[in-house]
Amino acid sequence: MSILDYFKPVSIWSAEKTRQFLKQENPDEYNLVDVRQPDEYEQGHLPGAQLIPVGEIPNRLAELDSNKPTIVY
Amino acid sequence: MRSRAAASILTGAGFKEVHSMQGGIRAWEGFVAEGIPGAGMAYFSPATRPEEMTTLAWLLEDGSCKFYESLAKMIEEQEAKGVFQSLKKSEENHKIVLWKMYEELSGKPPPSEFPDTMMSREAAGDVMEGGMLISEALKWSKGKNLKEILELSISLETNSYDLYLKMGRKVEGRSSKQVFEKLSEEEKRHLEQLTSLFLKKP
Repeated sequence: MSILDYFKPVSIWSAEKTRQFLKQENPDEYNLVDVRQPDEYEQGHLPGAQLIPVGEIPNRLAELDSNKPTIVY
Repeated sequence: MRSRAAASILTGAGFKEVHSMQGGIRAWEGFVAEGIPGAGMAYFSPATRPEEMTTLAWLLEDGSCKFYESLAKMIEEQEAKGVFQSLKKSEENHKIVLWKMYEELSGKPPPSEFPDTMMSREAAGDVMEGGMLISEALKWSKGKNLKEILELSISLETNSYDLYLKMGRKVEGRSSKQVFEKLSEEEKRHLEQLTSLFLKKP
């Protein structure tokens, strides 16, 4: 990952917008990814979230469907 | 900031639509699930066929049913008693839903000794939704107020919702996925029911 990646525009959703989305959509139709560390995940995570710590994402892309909307937190 | 970095990586990798949730878990203000990524799934690992998973889910629901039934007996206060009686009924309905699901999936009615013939009862005997032991949960509940007990129930339901969502993703095959999609929908409804009760209480 290049430092320039940090400057790319990223779509930001509020917690409320995320909540609405998760409420309406079928769980099979999106990726919900918790990018924090395992101990943080263990203390509490959004229901149904997959744990992929940010540093592991590049090597674990295959675990996610790139065609589905993806929400990270 | 980690989620923005993650979103950048995913976008760069060709993901079509990526959103970063602002404020992370602290902004969520909803109920959260606890536990390590595979927590609770161990109960499901020996069950590979959808009928078996349905049976196991039935056992977990059966455990919750007993939990709520015991709470309804243990608690003196009339309104709280009613709350847990209704929760118990709700879990009973869950069991019926699962029973029907079994029928749909296997094309035949469950065996008369359902679920005992499907798997050993000892394996799942004293568990309930969320993988917690009924006896432990009841011990904890003694001397707690209704709000605290409702909170425990909510966390149990949140954990099972989380579990069913993950199982739905993990299993192969359309029909197995359907089992867990239906279950997570059911759990979501329970959760909404419990949450509104929780908010109503002072």
